[in-house]
Amino acid sequence: MRNTDQSSSLFWLVVGIGIAISSLKYGFGTFHEPGPGFITFFAGAILTFLSLALFFSSFRDRVDRGGLRNLWAGLEFGKVLYVILLLVAYTLMLKSIGFLISTFVLLFLLFRVKGSYRLRTILLMSFLVTTGSYLIFEIWLKAQLPKGILERIF
Amino acid sequence: MDIINHIFFGFGVAFQPDNLLFCFIGVLIGTLVGVLPGLGPVAAISLLLPATFRAPPVGSIIMLSGIYYGAMYGGSTTSILVNIPGEAASVVTCFDGYQMARKGRAGPALGIAAFGSFIAGTLGVVGLAFMAPPLAAMALKFGPPEYFSLMVLGLTVLTFLAGGSMLKSLMMACFGVVIGNIGLDLVTARPRFTFGLDVLLDGVGLVPVVMGLFGISEVLLNVEEKLSEREIFKTEFKGLLPNLQDWKESIWPILRGSGLGFFLGILPGGGAVISSFVSYGVEKKLSKHPEEFGKGAIAGVAGPESANNSATAGAFIPLLTLGLPSNAVMAILLGALMIYNMPPGPRLITSHPNLFWGVITSMYIGNVMLLILNLPLIGLWVKILKIPYPILFPLILLFCLIGAYSLNTNPIEIGLMLIFGVLGYLMKKFKYDGAPLVLAMVLGPLMDNSLRQSLLMSGGSGMIFFTRPICLVILGAVTLILLLPVLPLISRIRKTVEKTEGN
Repeated sequence: MRNTDQSSSLFWLVVGIGIAISSLKYGFGTFHEPGPGFITFFAGAILTFLSLALFFSSFRDRVDRGGLRNLWAGLEFGKVLYVILLLVAYTLMLKSIGFLISTFVLLFLLFRVKGSYRLRTILLMSFLVTTGSYLIFEIWLKAQLPKGILERIF
Repeated sequence: MDIINHIFFGFGVAFQPDNLLFCFIGVLIGTLVGVLPGLGPVAAISLLLPATFRAPPVGSIIMLSGIYYGAMYGGSTTSILVNIPGEAASVVTCFDGYQMARKGRAGPALGIAAFGSFIAGTLGVVGLAFMAPPLAAMALKFGPPEYFSLMVLGLTVLTFLAGGSMLKSLMMACFGVVIGNIGLDLVTARPRFTFGLDVLLDGVGLVPVVMGLFGISEVLLNVEEKLSEREIFKTEFKGLLPNLQDWKESIWPILRGSGLGFFLGILPGGGAVISSFVSYGVEKKLSKHPEEFGKGAIAGVAGPESANNSATAGAFIPLLTLGLPSNAVMAILLGALMIYNMPPGPRLITSHPNLFWGVITSMYIGNVMLLILNLPLIGLWVKILKIPYPILFPLILLFCLIGAYSLNTNPIEIGLMLIFGVLGYLMKKFKYDGAPLVLAMVLGPLMDNSLRQSLLMSGGSGMIFFTRPICLVILGAVTLILLLPVLPLISRIRKTVEKTEGN
């Protein structure tokens, strides 16, 4: 891909076509009595049309701004991926392991992503933030955070 | 006069101790998120929204509004001291505010920003109190076709004013309409785009989407940046008060900025951001010393800071009178009012006068609180600025995680937030604006409803939008706005054709 608009417009083109086709399945209805897919069909169709417009107009852009790789040039993309994976793992484990343990582990790992602090400092910070947020959100605001395995122990 | 009675009634509501406390918490959190780069008012309000479900509605809205205009105050502090705008509406303040700070005049810069914001916020509130009731009375005459046209106009103006490519903003608006219509269709009770997931039957919540698009994505962008040390001035903040000469140079920019901001704030889409840029441009044009702009002209701080504050007051007008949000923050407030069973619209002023007048007057009180809070506490805000990002970003992430989970104690809400977080991250990378998506998502179901009602009214004829005079005017404006950016394109194409023919 010559520039980023071309790749992103192709993505939205597929999304737009997908929306329009599924809307027809949900039922377009008639103009007299619009069905559930009426407005989403138009939204999908316009999205398709606009993506095509963006795709073709991006060819007019003569300046070669480089491909997708340039978007991440000189940046630490690995860290972004790592943070996303940590958050996904947290989401999956939250219910079973419980708020206190999973949050402590998450914070411990997150504090190390960009910083270079001593192990003891990180452990202390993770502990303080976990208990602090537990006090604010669970005890004060009653957010009903999951207890997880601690519930079975106590 | 009626309006004076109403304002007194409003003060009665706003001065109740509970509401004063809510107002104080709101402006305090607002200033805090305004100071912290990477956490804006949009993310902060959606974060606190679940916590307000158990609080009284009027107090909650007072607090959420406080966060909004409080953030405008706080944003200026980081712009002036570290050249990092706390949020988008303070970008302009960097130009001259930071230069003033470098010349050792950080105090007067912060001072005039606070006083200007105070004057502008006050004028904005007065404007809101006078303009909203007659507008609401007019809006009562609107039917579904008028509402549908208005929403189309709102989205079009937003995509026109939003930064970057209008084409991309329109695409995001279309996508937002679809996201907003996920879930059970209210007429036929058939699920749409739920992918067989029961949680999606109720639709995609606004909070996870907004926290993902504006909170998580921002953190991800910052995580990949290589860290650089922030330079903070070690000036003593003794002389915060601007001197007489400063006032002379600032008073007109403040008043002009207030007017500009208020009217631009009514328009959908980034009113605060745009009005600050417009005000800067106007002041530079009108100034006797335009060459000083960018080198520390106090008018370049006073005008834009006033404009972005009165714009927040203006932004409330379409929400409170028409029930149509004009930016992402207003969209969240719309969601909140729906949850409290107080649907905003032309009837809100008469059906819930305590909410309407209470919130408006609380903004006035909030402005006083901000003035008291900001000037002596600047030292504290500077300390907060010094929290290193490696420690700050896990905290922001944790708040987002807890906020999403506590919506209805379901990890799936976190999952949704993460999906929109990654989407938002990629959107920023590929230069797509998130605001049209959020606004269209809120307007989506309303548009679906009013479009279907209009077509039922007309017996299936789309002509209903062209035979009613108000609709015709509104849709005419839509066409005009859509054509504006195309016109230079047409001329450019013509030029290319001429060139090729000439060759």
